Amino acid sequence: MEALILFALVLGLLFIGLPVGIALGLSSILYISFFSNDSLSSIAISLFGVGTHYTLLAIPFFILASAFMSTGGVAKRLINFAIASVGHFRGGLAMASVLACMMFAALSGSSPATVVAIGTIAIAGMRQVGYSKEFASGIIANAGTLGILIPPSIVMVVYAASTDVSVGRMFLAGVIPGLLAGAMLMLAIYVVARKRNLPAEQWKGIGNLIRGGKDAGWGLFLIVIIMGGIYGGVFTPTEAAVVAAVYSMIIALFVYRDMGPLKETPWVEATDSAHARIGFNGSVYGVSFFIVWMIMSFFALADSETVTLGDRTLWGLIASVALALFYIYKRSGDIHQSLVHCLVAGLPIWKRNLGAMTRAFFPAFFGGETRKVMLEGTKTTVMLMFIIANALLFAHTLSAERIPQVVTEWMLGVGFNWFTFLIAVNILLLIGGQFMEPSGLLVIVAPVVFPIAMELGVDPIHLGIIMVVNMEIGMITPPIGLNLFVTSGITGMSLARVVKAAMPFVAVLFVFLILVTYIPVISTWLPYTIMGPEIITK
Amino acid sequence: MDYWPHLYLLVFILILWGLEKLCPKFMESLEENFLVLIISLIMAVSFGQVIARYGFNTGWSAALEFNMVMFSWLILMGMSYGIKTGIHLGVDIVLNAVPHKLGKALALFGALATLVYALLLLDSAWLAAMGVDVRGGAIEYWAKMFKINIGVEEMRWPQFIQDWFGVRERVQRWLVLIMLPISLALLSFRSIQAFFDILTNKRHMLISGHEAQDLVEENKGVLRD
Repeated sequence: MEALILFALVLGLLFIGLPVGIALGLSSILYISFFSNDSLSSIAISLFGVGTHYTLLAIPFFILASAFMSTGGVAKRLINFAIASVGHFRGGLAMASVLACMMFAALSGSSPATVVAIGTIAIAGMRQVGYSKEFASGIIANAGTLGILIPPSIVMVVYAASTDVSVGRMFLAGVIPGLLAGAMLMLAIYVVARKRNLPAEQWKGIGNLIRGGKDAGWGLFLIVIIMGGIYGGVFTPTEAAVVAAVYSMIIALFVYRDMGPLKETPWVEATDSAHARIGFNGSVYGVSFFIVWMIMSFFALADSETVTLGDRTLWGLIASVALALFYIYKRSGDIHQSLVHCLVAGLPIWKRNLGAMTRAFFPAFFGGETRKVMLEGTKTTVMLMFIIANALLFAHTLSAERIPQVVTEWMLGVGFNWFTFLIAVNILLLIGGQFMEPSGLLVIVAPVVFPIAMELGVDPIHLGIIMVVNMEIGMITPPIGLNLFVTSGITGMSLARVVKAAMPFVAVLFVFLILVTYIPVISTWLPYTIMGPEIITK
Repeated sequence: MDYWPHLYLLVFILILWGLEKLCPKFMESLEENFLVLIISLIMAVSFGQVIARYGFNTGWSAALEFNMVMFSWLILMGMSYGIKTGIHLGVDIVLNAVPHKLGKALALFGALATLVYALLLLDSAWLAAMGVDVRGGAIEYWAKMFKINIGVEEMRWPQFIQDWFGVRERVQRWLVLIMLPISLALLSFRSIQAFFDILTNKRHMLISGHEAQDLVEENKGVLRD
């Protein structure tokens, strides 16, 4: 009875428009004031203690990394790369949009941000070559949801923190479902494209693909740093997030130069001669290869007894010098210049760029634009953490009143088995996902659902993926899915039109949800093969 | 229990109020800079730790504790900042569906509820005075820590501060915890401000409907025919 009051209070306060955090927190402290003997001092101190969840500390840095990656041209580069890889199929531009959404999702982790960043460019592009606006918006609204499924994902960090499973395994578990969801969407597009005879782009050759890949590569390497760092056993997820944030900052400021003092300074200027460019490009490839080699080999061989830092450096140097010389040799032949001539001519470009970067070093880190991006990231962080902190307070109240145990006993008592239980979880989350921010909902639902699932023999990692996929679909389920709103906002279409446009693909994602829910191996195979099974100690 | 912490908090809020009346732009950027500074500090310290550990096999033993305290400060400071800037998420379907007057009343209620939340956590004595069996709060806990004056686990003052101020080696726990009452007092202050802003129609809502509201607003209808 008292528990019902608690739930009714939360829902009531939520719907009359209180901030989610206040609705959760106020209900909890009122409940404790009236029905329990706990002192509010302990509640206040547990609010302070949210910061001591080490895993949660990863969240601000994943947010910052994505804030830096979302500035300017990264979306454009990803779309170009995607078009170069799958654009030549029938319905290729639409498939490329899905692929671009998947890649952007891996960098940013926010669904609405993905819809806006990729959508504004891709929908316009699709319309130009003759797709209908409905079709284009429907695809983007759906593909945009992949953000929370493809790692790194904040929602997964939150799940891991509230149920004490490993973040690393959760991230790995998201890989195959994420690829599967993308593939299913693309397949659906291909079928529709065949039937409606939608246009295909021209295949522009492998060179174009490589060029696109090179351009997008610095951004995509972020995923390698995060995943490689965690699975190489080098970083904790929190450290990986910090390194990712610093990496994205440097890439945005100094390599892509989408923001900051170097914004208008290209690497190579129009006045540079052809042979100088070749020399410069060659040496850039060499240096890039060396950096990538050192990072990758560090992840792979950090614990190795036999291979030392010196060995790795030596081999990296040899390989990168060879690569640089080979490229220059190959290209310098085309314009009949000697190798050395090209190499030497490239040096002034290096000098100019390094000079500009050194001069811009402090202005870049302390400049107005960097501050603005940091502030945006901070805002998102405090907004999210306020919900999570209060949801933890709420979850704490629930377990202090033994509500999860009561629910567990009741559910087992009425004869739920794992099959029907998972259906119940699906429905609960699909409804909840309509009204609540995913990570907040997860913090509340996980403590209740998790013990039941363990009792029924559901795998903890699998349960996490089910929950994430449910949240994802909650974002595009009418009436009030978030991605529908965002798509309607940027396209100027009415909500009803967007819903209708998104429906066919939502059906595809529903099939995907059923697959993920009832075939655990899709989620568990990769993490358990690489890291071994998750062991739950109670 | 003494009431001097309450008094200090009140004075602090009044001074802040006065300063914000005098130079609103400066105070706003001061608050934002403080938040950015905290997150940059955590980032710098964590990244420094990664470099120090994997590159040089050394590190700062208190780094973890420092980061966690700073993270708590960020979360706490963010509560009031979020109310001030209206970035906290909420469900706005009912607010948008009901007539304007009722919507305004609900928004006012929201601001009041936030005030109750903050004041209860700050010190629940006022609710106890109304006959509810409740006790404790942030101020009480902080005052206790101030009285017993114990230190935190890892963080140490640098030698020169120990010499100059004659403090003990370990950073005092009350000093770390001071953000708790301050941030709750700030939250009360911001919700009172929000209440009057909504009352005088300077502000429409307390919450933001979804996380990408600004982003969508910026790109509103860019693809309209």
